[in-house]
Amino acid sequence: MSSRRSRPLSSGASRITDDQIIQLISKLQQLLPGTGIQRSNKSSASKVLQETCSYVRSLHQEVDDLSDRLSQLLSTIDANSPEASIVRSLII
Amino acid sequence: MSPPQQPTSINPNSLKIQLAYRFLHNLNNLNTKRSNLDNTRIRRSHRVKLAAYASMAYVVGSRRAWSRAILWKIRNRAVLARFKRVDHKITTPLRHHHVHAGSVKRRTPSCSNPKREYSDPFGNSGQEVKLRKLVPGSSTMDALGLLDETADYIKCLATQVEVMKNLVDLYSII
Repeated sequence: MSSRRSRPLSSGASRITDDQIIQLISKLQQLLPGTGIQRSNKSSASKVLQETCSYVRSLHQEVDDLSDRLSQLLSTIDANSPEASIVRSLII
Repeated sequence: MSPPQQPTSINPNSLKIQLAYRFLHNLNNLNTKRSNLDNTRIRRSHRVKLAAYASMAYVVGSRRAWSRAILWKIRNRAVLARFKRVDHKITTPLRHHHVHAGSVKRRTPSCSNPKREYSDPFGNSGQEVKLRKLVPGSSTMDALGLLDETADYIKCLATQVEVMKNLVDLYSII
């Protein structure tokens, strides 16, 4: 979405206003990791989208890695039952 | 959302707690269902990944299009796998190691020229298309809804990653 002009939609739907887009993009920007809450408003929409794409990709990658590690850990802890039962009682 | 620095007052309805419960429940089911059948490492990590996405989608329920899409994909895994096997015979596979029968999470193939601005026949710019590929269930949405869905998806995904990190930490100190 490199243009910020409102796009004409099919009949029956209202036009997307610039304000709505700006609002949503700023909301996205706040979710991105980085300088935290004080992200400047100077980054354009396309930059925010780019960072969003890369952030989603990195999150997917992290889920993959974490599930790898979790599967390894889960397979090795089944042998130690006393500790596992302690953990189970703690969690559940 | 409960702030992470208050261990005494935990909001039981926070997204993180709900995700944690659901994920643990799914993991338990995983372990008890087919524990000795296919224990190869890749299959196991793939099942854990499926449990993670399933728990994420289940907690959010049908409120969001992405969760509906994930739930639909998981529930129809067997049917989709048959279609995918036919596809793989025809086209060359783009993904490297997620080609197993149960793999429904599509990964974006790494673009060979990421800098070039490309657009699909509807005139959408390249970034929007990339975002649509990443966020599940976003192909039938207009641009405004896509942004909204992305924000919600990122929030849930980040919380799920946090839950998994905590679990890994917990399990690794045993």
